[in-house]
Parts: sequence; structure tokens; C-alpha cells
Amino acid sequence: MTAAPVVFVVDDDASVRSSLKFLLSTVGLQAETFDSADGFLHKKHPDVAPSCLVLDVRLPGLSGLDFQRELATRNICIPIVFLTGHGDIPMSVRAMKAGAVEFLTKPFRDQDLLDAVRVALDQDRARREREKEITDIRGRFDSLTSREQEVVSMVVAGMLNKQIAAELGTAESTVKVQRSRAMEKMQAESLADLIKMIQKVQSPSQKAS
Amino acid sequence: MTESSALQNEVSLETSIPEGGASLESILCTEELHRRPSRPPDYEKENRALVKLVSALADSPSTIFHTLADTIQDITQCDSAGLSLLTRDGKTPHVEGQRFYWPAICGMWGPHVGGGTPRNFGPCGDVLDQNRTLLFTHFERRYPYLMPVSPAAEECLLVPFYVDGKAVGTIWGIMHSSRRKFDAEDDRIMASLGKFASSAYQAWTHIEDLKIQVAEREKAEAEVRELAKGLEAKIRRLVEANVVGIVMWNLEGAITGANEAFLHMVQYDQDDIASGRVRWKDLTPAEWRNRDEQAIAEIKGSSIFRPFEKEYLRKDGTRVPVLLGGALFEGGGNEGVAFVLDLSEQKRAQEKLRDAQQSLYATQGELAQISRLTTMGELTASIAHEVNQPLTAITNNGSACLRLLANQNLGPEVLRRTLEEIVADGNRASAVIARIRGFIKKAPSEKSELDVNEVIQEVLALVGPELQKNRIAVKCELSTSLPLVFADRVQLQQVLLNLIVNGIEAMTAVTDRARALVVQSKIDESGVLMVAVCDTGTGLSLEADRVFTPFFTTKANGMGMGLPISRSLVEGHGGRLWATSNSPYGAVFSFTLPAAGSSS
Repeated sequence: MTAAPVVFVVDDDASVRSSLKFLLSTVGLQAETFDSADGFLHKKHPDVAPSCLVLDVRLPGLSGLDFQRELATRNICIPIVFLTGHGDIPMSVRAMKAGAVEFLTKPFRDQDLLDAVRVALDQDRARREREKEITDIRGRFDSLTSREQEVVSMVVAGMLNKQIAAELGTAESTVKVQRSRAMEKMQAESLADLIKMIQKVQSPSQKAS
Repeated sequence: MTESSALQNEVSLETSIPEGGASLESILCTEELHRRPSRPPDYEKENRALVKLVSALADSPSTIFHTLADTIQDITQCDSAGLSLLTRDGKTPHVEGQRFYWPAICGMWGPHVGGGTPRNFGPCGDVLDQNRTLLFTHFERRYPYLMPVSPAAEECLLVPFYVDGKAVGTIWGIMHSSRRKFDAEDDRIMASLGKFASSAYQAWTHIEDLKIQVAEREKAEAEVRELAKGLEAKIRRLVEANVVGIVMWNLEGAITGANEAFLHMVQYDQDDIASGRVRWKDLTPAEWRNRDEQAIAEIKGSSIFRPFEKEYLRKDGTRVPVLLGGALFEGGGNEGVAFVLDLSEQKRAQEKLRDAQQSLYATQGELAQISRLTTMGELTASIAHEVNQPLTAITNNGSACLRLLANQNLGPEVLRRTLEEIVADGNRASAVIARIRGFIKKAPSEKSELDVNEVIQEVLALVGPELQKNRIAVKCELSTSLPLVFADRVQLQQVLLNLIVNGIEAMTAVTDRARALVVQSKIDESGVLMVAVCDTGTGLSLEADRVFTPFFTTKANGMGMGLPISRSLVEGHGGRLWATSNSPYGAVFSFTLPAAGSSS
């Protein structure tokens, strides 16, 4: 694991902020506190450690829900645990639909908050790993020669070496060499492994199209 | 021919008498009748003739004059026989006519039927003037206009007859040769036939009158038909022009016809109407049915209903606001016609105007209504927030300490600092509570003597736009004999506002019945002033007792503080606030207030 996880706490009440920071510290979690959404947005964060937001719905200036929307438009993916002064069903439904991890009513049980924060951090960690893996695969795929990339695409599409050779106008033995070199560069142990990698890289863009 | 020209004709006739025309005496030989040897009466023949005449009068009255002339000839055995009747136009009898015409002639003079003589210068006129039967001989000697009438009359027996005492004409018989002379028997028979002529004349004129009446009625009917046709064309033009919606309907709720304009409004087509699927009762949303009933009651009384505004449901379930007026068709049936105007545009314009006004009010801050509407909600929300913040901090700090304690990792410095924070937050929370209490308790210092009805009207004016927006009908049942109360106006407004806004919110989901809010003020059975706010909303169900519990709410965005605060405010005034179910739907919130100076 690389850097230690960080919990960002955004609440306009100083007592709540410091008590949350204290509570999180008891389970070894580092917290950074902000008294407004703007305060959080204006500070540069080194995007390296798994992190999550603990956010009060009722904030001065940008409200919690507006803040959530703002993050989404800025393409910032950070799991959010909402805190609210009173149980407001439509508001919580909206927040959860927009991807909130949990919606807690103040005052909450300490365990509920710590559980929610743990879930949020796990989500973020998984997302980071997924993104890192995809970046790695992309890097390896980019390191292939263009002929090797062509061969990989055809292999993944289910074509036999003989067919690929005919398609590219080369000898089957040449295809075999190019194929094994590509497998090596991609660090793929089997054909199935290679297909999985290519799918991981392709699937989000295919889904989007 | 007009009456005056007819008279002139006769004057000219009279003045054109040739000099030396024979005198009346010289052409009369009436007295000879009784000197001549008379033939014996043939009663049998006479009876047969009279029976024939009577049955002719019954069977074919239109030809009775002809039958009479026939009979005269038959009985008197004369050469020509006929009738002369006074007339104005020469075609129809008239008692005030100035000449005679011959409606029927038998025998040798038959071809002269339709001719006639002047009233004042002629044999018939002579008979009428002398009011008796006269026997003429060669009357053309005195009346030259009879000269060309051939064959010439050797003798003419003329008998007057009367209707209601007025002479109307004569019957006559003529001998054109001296083969036979009229005698006393002829005189007797002619007198008797003269009486018959009188009744024949009456029968005939009655029939003519009847014919005229019938003709007039037919003419009038034709005119009415013509008028109706013209009117129908105009109405059809109105219907087809589609300037306004037009509906034919009946009291049972069916629509029997409608023009395109109406169909366009409600988005149905002619097939829907033809199939009978579209009923105006179904087109009317539940909350408008009462207004419809009112219009039906009105139409049953006066066969029209005055235009009123309502809504129709379109085929797709949306609503269209309309102005509707109409009437029952004549004849006491249950069918009628109505015009329908689409008010969407007007409503939109009104709403825009209202919105503009409202935003104006809001920005200018001139009216406290909007802020007052939200005061209660904001107050309760901020209470929750302000109390929750220190509580959250206390809980967090306490939990954290417990965790550290469990790990035997709680240093005294950390504990001291945390406990200080806990104490500070505890003090903060109780300060919030104290402030709320202060808010509720401080207010009664502004009590004054108030008219409850006045406060009710103020609050209703405040929520007017809300009620209108939610299509809620308001009814005030305010007693005029209420004592003044000693109360805080703002707090009383807040209580009423809260109860009314609750009522409005409870009714927004109601679509299948009328949304009605009733505000009552009265003196109840125990002599206490009571105010009630009744709605037809979703009602209390099993929660009647719980609604006053703080933070209890059935509303999606409710705080659950409105009613507890309202109850505290009412109780602060020495009154009570409670809820009951309304029948058949909704809830009733009632509160009492002691009259000013009644107790404490």
C-alpha cells in the first residue's frame, strides 16, 4: 500500500469538526477538516491516497447536495458520507442516488460513522486500483509495435494464427513470433489473461459509445 | 280593386243613366202575383227539395249556392235562377259591399255567373231598399246595363234574405218568355227558400272564414319554418366557425354533440362523441362536481345557468380551465346546449401576472406573508440543527474517549481537553433550549384585546395565493357574536397559519373530491370561544394523538414541530388545541381561547 488514507471532514461547526477528527484518530485515520465546501475545493490535494468526504448537508454557501453535484461536474470521484441535522427522506434519497455512501442523522452512533467511512475508503481504494490497473495495461499496450497491436486485436477477436497471417499477408511463423512477443510485453500468462486485459481497457469506452 | 275605385265606378255608372230611363214603378208588377191564378202547392216536391238542400249543406257546403239556384229553378220551373250577394271585391260576399255579384246561376243565364249589378241602382238594390219581395218585368228598361244580358228577362222574381237582421243578398228566378208567369205559390216558395239562403250564406261564410284562417295559419307556419331555416343556418355557422366550443348535452351526463373547437379543448374526436364514451360528468374533475350540481339546480329552476369558470379533464388527464354557460332546450326536456371558452391563455396570463406580483412582493419585502409562511418551518429546522451540532460533538468526543480507554491509550491531557469540550458543548445545547423557551415564553407580554374573526381574515388574506394555487375552496363560518380575546396577535396568526397550511398540504394529494377548507369561529356548548380549521385532506388515520408529539410528521419535508409549537402557543393563552377526524374525509383542528377578562 502506498500513502495513508485521508478523511476530509466538511462541517461549519468547529466542535463537530474537532470531535470528528478526534473520533477518527482513535481508529488510526487521518482527518483534514474544512468549515465550508469552498474551503475544500480551494485547497490542492495530492491525489495519491485513498480518501473520502464526511459532509454536512446544511452548509453555509454551497449546500452539501450542491457540493456533491459540483464534484461530479468537475469529474472528482470521491465517496461521500453525508451528515444531516434531521432525517429528510427526499434529500437523502437524492444524495444516495447521486452516489453517496451513507446518510447519517446527527447525532449518530460512532460505529455507524466509522463503518461508513471504512466502506467509503474501500470504495475509493478499489476504484484507484482499478484505474491503476487500466493505466498499466494501457501503458503496456502502447509499448507494443503497431504490427503487434494489430495481431493482439485479431487474436482477441478470436482469429487463428493462420487467418491472421492471411489477413496481414505474412507467414504464419511470423505471426507466431509477434504474438508471443506481444504476450510477453503485455505480461499476459495466457490467451484468457490477454482477453481480460483488453476487455478491461475497452469496456468503459465501449459502454460509453 | 280597392274600395274607393269600386265606389267611383258606381258613381260613374249612376251618372251615366240615360235620360228617359223607365221609372221603377213602370218595371214592377209585384201586386199582380196575388191576382194571378195560383197553382196548387206541391208540398211533397217542396219537402224533397228542402231535404236535398239540407243534406247538400251538410255534405258539400262549398257548392251550396249552386245547389240553391238549381233548387229554385226546379221548384219554380223558371228559365233562369240564381243568387246576388253584396260584395266588395266582386268575388267574395261582404255585408257592407257596394255592389252585387252572382256566385251561382242555373238555366239560360248560366253563362253570366260571376257578373253583377250596382247596390244603389239595380233590381237587387231596389229589393233591399224596399225590404220585400219584388216582381220585375223587363227591368233592362230602367237599368241599361242589363240590356246586353241575354236573353232578356220577361219577368224576374227577387227575394231578399238576411243574416243577423242585415240584408246580404237576393235569390231570384227569371222567365225569359211569357209561357208561364210567377204566381202567389212561387212567392211563398221563394220566401221559404230565402230563409234557407240565409243559413246557406252563413255556412258558406263560416267555411270561407275557416279557409282564410287555415291559409293564414299555413302562411304563418311557413314563415316560422323559413325563419327557423334561416336561424338554423346561422346557428350552424356559429357551431362550425369554431370560435367557441359548443356542446349539446343532457342532464344524465351525456354529450350528444360537440363542435371541433370543444373537441380540440378536451382532445377527443367526433368518434368518441358518437360512441357515447365521452360524458360531461366524466370530463369534470371531482372537486368541480359540486359546482356542476349548482348549475344543474339553477338550470332546473330557470332553464339557463349563468356562465361560470371550471375545469375539464382532457383525454390525457391534464386539465383545461374553461368558462361555461348554457341553457336547456325549450319544451321541458332534459337536453340543452352550452358554450365553452378555453381560458388556458387567460389563466396563464393571470398566473404570470400573479407570479410577477409575488416576486415583486418578495423582493420589496413589503409583505411579511412569505417570510411568515416559512417562519415556522425555519424555526423548527434551525432548532434541530442548533441542538444537534453540540450533541453530535458531545457524542463523538465521548465515543472517542471510550475507544481510547478500551485500548488503555487515553492520556490525562487528552481526556481533560475532551471533557472541557464536552462541557462547553453541553452548555451550548442548553443555551439553545433556553432560547427556544424564551421565544415561546417571552411573547405573551405583547397580548392585547383582539377580534378573533379579524385575525382569521388576516391570515386567510395571507394564504390566499396558496389556496388559489392549490385550487382549494375556502368557506368562512364566523360567528358575529364573539367576545374579544386577550392574546398575542402574531402568535395567534402563527397558530392559524400553521393549521391552515397543514390543511392545504393535506389536500394537495387529493384529486378525487372537492378540496375544501372551512374555517369556523363560534361559542361552543360550554360557552367557550372555539376556532376550527376543517379540511378534506388525507385525514389523521390512527395518528390523531401523535400529531402533537415533537418531530412527528407525515409530510415528506415536514419537521414535526408545527403542531407542538402551535399547541404550546395556544396553551400559553390558556386555551386547548386538539385534532379530530372530519367526516367523511380530512381532519379538524380546533382550539379554544378564553374571552378577555374571563379568568386569570
